[in-house]
Amino acid sequence: MNPFEKIFNYQIISRLEETGSYALTSQERSWLKAMLEREAAEPAFEKSTREKLREMLHEEEDYRLQEIIIERGRSEVRQIYHPLLRQLRRSIADGKGIRMSIALKHGGVRSRQSGIPFKLEYSMVKREWYLLWYETRRRALMSTRLRNIISLEEWEPSRQRTAEAKAWLARALAQRVRSAEVEVVKGYNAELSRILSAFSCFDKSVSFDEDSGIYRIRIQYLGDESEFLLSRIRFLGLRVRIVEGEYMKRRMLESATKTLRRYGELEESAPVASADEADKRLSAQEAEGSTSSSPADGGGVH
Amino acid sequence: MARESFDKEIQFLRLLALTGGAYSRQQFAARLGISVHTYDKTLRYLKEMMNAGQHGLTKEQGAELAEGLRYNHYESADPLLLFLYRAKSLKETESIRLALIMSALRERELAAKELMDFLCDELPADLPAPDEKTIRGDLKYLEEVGVIRRADDKRPFRYRARTELVDRLTDDELIDLYDFVDVLANTQVPSVQGYLLRDTLKKALKARGLHSEVTETHVYKYHFHSRILDEAHLFTIYKAIESRRRLKFLYLSPKKGTRYNSKNTNPLFERQTEGLYEIILPLKVIYDHQYGRWYLVGHNARQGLMKFRMEGLTELEATEEVSQEEFAMRLDSAEEKLKISWVIDTSRPFKVVVRFFNPEGTRNNFVKDRVLSQGQWGTVTDETDETFLYEITVNGLTEIKPWLRSFGSSCEVLEPAWLRKEFIQEWKELYAYYEPVREDL
Repeated sequence: MNPFEKIFNYQIISRLEETGSYALTSQERSWLKAMLEREAAEPAFEKSTREKLREMLHEEEDYRLQEIIIERGRSEVRQIYHPLLRQLRRSIADGKGIRMSIALKHGGVRSRQSGIPFKLEYSMVKREWYLLWYETRRRALMSTRLRNIISLEEWEPSRQRTAEAKAWLARALAQRVRSAEVEVVKGYNAELSRILSAFSCFDKSVSFDEDSGIYRIRIQYLGDESEFLLSRIRFLGLRVRIVEGEYMKRRMLESATKTLRRYGELEESAPVASADEADKRLSAQEAEGSTSSSPADGGGVH
Repeated sequence: MARESFDKEIQFLRLLALTGGAYSRQQFAARLGISVHTYDKTLRYLKEMMNAGQHGLTKEQGAELAEGLRYNHYESADPLLLFLYRAKSLKETESIRLALIMSALRERELAAKELMDFLCDELPADLPAPDEKTIRGDLKYLEEVGVIRRADDKRPFRYRARTELVDRLTDDELIDLYDFVDVLANTQVPSVQGYLLRDTLKKALKARGLHSEVTETHVYKYHFHSRILDEAHLFTIYKAIESRRRLKFLYLSPKKGTRYNSKNTNPLFERQTEGLYEIILPLKVIYDHQYGRWYLVGHNARQGLMKFRMEGLTELEATEEVSQEEFAMRLDSAEEKLKISWVIDTSRPFKVVVRFFNPEGTRNNFVKDRVLSQGQWGTVTDETDETFLYEITVNGLTEIKPWLRSFGSSCEVLEPAWLRKEFIQEWKELYAYYEPVREDL
């Protein structure tokens, strides 16, 4: 089970590709065998395929590496696999359109929602699947939890229409990219590794000024991810300070103000920076994941 | 790859992934404790590797290597750091020979002698024809790692490539298998074997003429990619635990400046060895989802239960065996101590009581959802319409603090009193960080 076998060497792999062959090792098959025993394998295959795979793998050694691992700080796993993944991934790859009925958070159903599917996205934080899609009528980028999809059927858009929708979605996503810069507060440079790890789940770049010894981390994120980024920044506490990104700075000040009031440490009369507006945005953004579907860009980008 | 070289590459990749472009060549080399020459050489090797396996990499990813490894998760779910596992060095002749053997054995069953004839015809003219001993050695290796198998027990042995996982599936089934492997590798630990398999299946789909979009439908948000690097140690640790052997290693605390320690016998390296040699009995490995980091937990007679960040482990080596009784006793004791650790803290337990505030103006209680989902073994009780209480008994407070703080004003610490005081103090300081903002408004 040593992942450093020479068989994995990149030269062998690229030569095999030229000759159209593959190196499938026992350790990969053992891993697969163990994964097929999990619940997630049920919705992932037709029954006949699952049986065929199990039969091919039954002689493999048991994969026991996970026995020594304890996992901590994980969100409760809602789902690893969703039964609709198979159908939706095919609709995406074949450039099909979809028509859905979607359950709303507080009861009720929004039916006959028509659009073009784009990506299936798994959130490691919420531990569940979302569909990113283009809503044809409103021309909006939508993010919908798979578990809220009640019914799903396909329709046949023209190739051109699919291509246009996908190009539009890619642009819409690009337009939603925001950036913020945080500085590692100098007394905490010794904890750099921890701090950088905490941001390593974002698209980021780091700069270092040798003279001042100051590290800055520039983070690119999508507009609707700002609350998650803020929670990471609060997570790190005094170790980092936002130096660029007015909205983020205002939200941090607001967090601090409201928290100190909770503890009775700040007078009620002290103004909270655009709290009402920020509150609304907060609910809208945090709710983004939990309402059945909503324009993921807040309706702002067209 | 020699162990020395492997330790260097793993640290190199981690520094690239984490610090993404922060350092100049000189600074980077200094932090790794290597010469600029070695820095250049290593980077060149990594680039060569990336170019060879470029399929599926975007142009941007290729170009940006030196500026650090960056991810845009809407472009590709390919884990760049996987190439650590592709780095084992190999003679060119060997890679050509092994690839040819595997291709031939995919077509039909062959015995060693037949393979020799085949290789004499197929090998490039400037390479010497291999002798039978070499071929037998190759076959033995390939059989050991499970990429080929004997057809039956009759002599002379005939071999066949074990590519049935790809060959026996229809296109549609292969797509399902690819997805399954993709999802499990991306969401579960350990994952390296899954990622390696994913690579192969991706190539198989391509070879069947399926459009590249077929493998680009899934994306994963908030993924800690560098966790893949630390899985490198997992196998060695697993073997040591399984055989109840102590582990010896050089531990470089990630809090110190230098990550990689060169052997001072090597004239290319400038630094003397720092860090500490440790010998422990390994017991468990802990994966922390909050940072995507791994820890090794073990016991040592002098200091008792010890924990090490995986990224600081170098020169790992299994040493003497301990008795079953001793191992079981140490493991039981460690598991007991870790039972109520938020991550790895085994210090004195505290009861923590926190009031959470339900979000205003929405029926969607995302605060409670998150507490229920991430609050581990803590309990939740409704208090008023606006609030609920969360109670947990946990070893030490340093590890749960960041999580509580991440809730901002939705959370008020009630007990213990001094944690409450600490929170107030911290929030005052955070307030001071941003107070000037008010003046700009």
